[in-house]
Amino acid sequence: MPATIYIEAACFIVAVICLIRDANWVWRSMALFLLITCLTEITGKLLRSGHHSNQWLYNVYLLFEAGFTSLMFNKVLSKYINSKILIIGGAGVFLASYVYDLIGHGFLVFNDITATVMSVVFVIYSFLYFYLLIRDDQYVDLIKSPAFWWVTGALFFYFGSTAVNLFFAFLRDVQVAGHNITYFIFSALSAILYACWSYSFICRRWQTTSKN
Amino acid sequence: MANNIKELILIATLIFLLAPLFIILYVVIYNRRKMRHIEEKEQMKHAFDAEIIKTQLEVQEQTMQNIGADLHDNIGQLLSLSSLTLNSIQLEDLEKARQKIDAAIDLTGRSIKEMRLLGKLLQGDQLLGVGLSEAICHEINWVEKSGKFQVNYVNEGDLPANNNLDKDLIIFRILQEVINNIIKHSMATQINIKLAYADGNMQLNVEDNGVGFNLDNLQTARPEGGGMGLLNMQKRAKIVGGDVFIKTQQGEGTSTTVIIPYP
Repeated sequence: MPATIYIEAACFIVAVICLIRDANWVWRSMALFLLITCLTEITGKLLRSGHHSNQWLYNVYLLFEAGFTSLMFNKVLSKYINSKILIIGGAGVFLASYVYDLIGHGFLVFNDITATVMSVVFVIYSFLYFYLLIRDDQYVDLIKSPAFWWVTGALFFYFGSTAVNLFFAFLRDVQVAGHNITYFIFSALSAILYACWSYSFICRRWQTTSKN
Repeated sequence: MANNIKELILIATLIFLLAPLFIILYVVIYNRRKMRHIEEKEQMKHAFDAEIIKTQLEVQEQTMQNIGADLHDNIGQLLSLSSLTLNSIQLEDLEKARQKIDAAIDLTGRSIKEMRLLGKLLQGDQLLGVGLSEAICHEINWVEKSGKFQVNYVNEGDLPANNNLDKDLIIFRILQEVINNIIKHSMATQINIKLAYADGNMQLNVEDNGVGFNLDNLQTARPEGGGMGLLNMQKRAKIVGGDVFIKTQQGEGTSTTVIIPYP
């Protein structure tokens, strides 16, 4: 099993421990999303080891990823602005590119354009969050801010993913220690993402328990 | 050539991967600055509140001093005189006794009048709640009572409907101190006070025809008797965004102007 599956599983466990009793259903839904992520990764790995294509599986997973991540962005941005229109707009762009991909190459080939579009949309959301955060008069203790760490993880992952997706044609030829360099980059990005999210869930737990 | 492009792509990828780190560092640094700014604002607010409380205490102290002087110089004298008059009554001579009783009644009446004025003086600092101009009028009444000064007071321009109690307090305290200085040092006979409001500024001008002083010598000196001093007056005015200007020359009187953005 690749290391990323263990990292995802660890993040899922942290999410279950920290968020299962969270008062907010959006935060609670992160545990479900991470469960879906782990199951997708394991199933994908099993399909691949059985020499079956797993690209259709990741096409399905894209829908969950876009849905749950958009929900969370809506949650963190709504503190500063009425973000519903923005998130619905982003979802519209995502669906349009998803349909475009499906029409272009069918369901059995991975929707790479959709993945790139989704990454760009999430990077824009992350930038917007940081802009609103620094513009806000209120001081936020970033070390203990669950929203900040969640967005930080997302920004690292989706910004890096965008870069790799853009340069993929060149990067796929670069081999390091018997693996494609993108394998190491995605492993590092996943580690950063799930480390930030795990810490974000812990902060969320501290925040909610200290309020009670 | 192909290798160069590959290297370039790798460097570009690395930059892309590191870019979020710089963005987050910027956010963290900015956030720390925001915290420092909030702390500084908080400290400034505390300093402002402390200065306002100090000013309030000084106004009260000044009022008590005025009352003490009034009790000793006016009411005390009137009541002593009443007592002496009543003690000297001889009931055998009814006509003279009647005159002395009338005199005692007159003295008692004057004492009551003085007591009423004293009562108003006692509310001096509270009068600021009614309005700065009203409080200044009461202060002037007290100064005029000594009979040593002729005081002219002019109120120019309509004062804003929403008054600022903190700024009123500071202007009033500076006026008290300027008047104190005139009484103690100026040997003046005429005091002109003008309160004006124009272009979002409250301006108080106090002029006297006294001996004046050398401004350079007094710029840094602490006044005797624990008064505010020139620097202190300026400090007080500056905490509400204003300033104090003094024009004087030996033998040519003094003009003190306080300008404070208002309300």
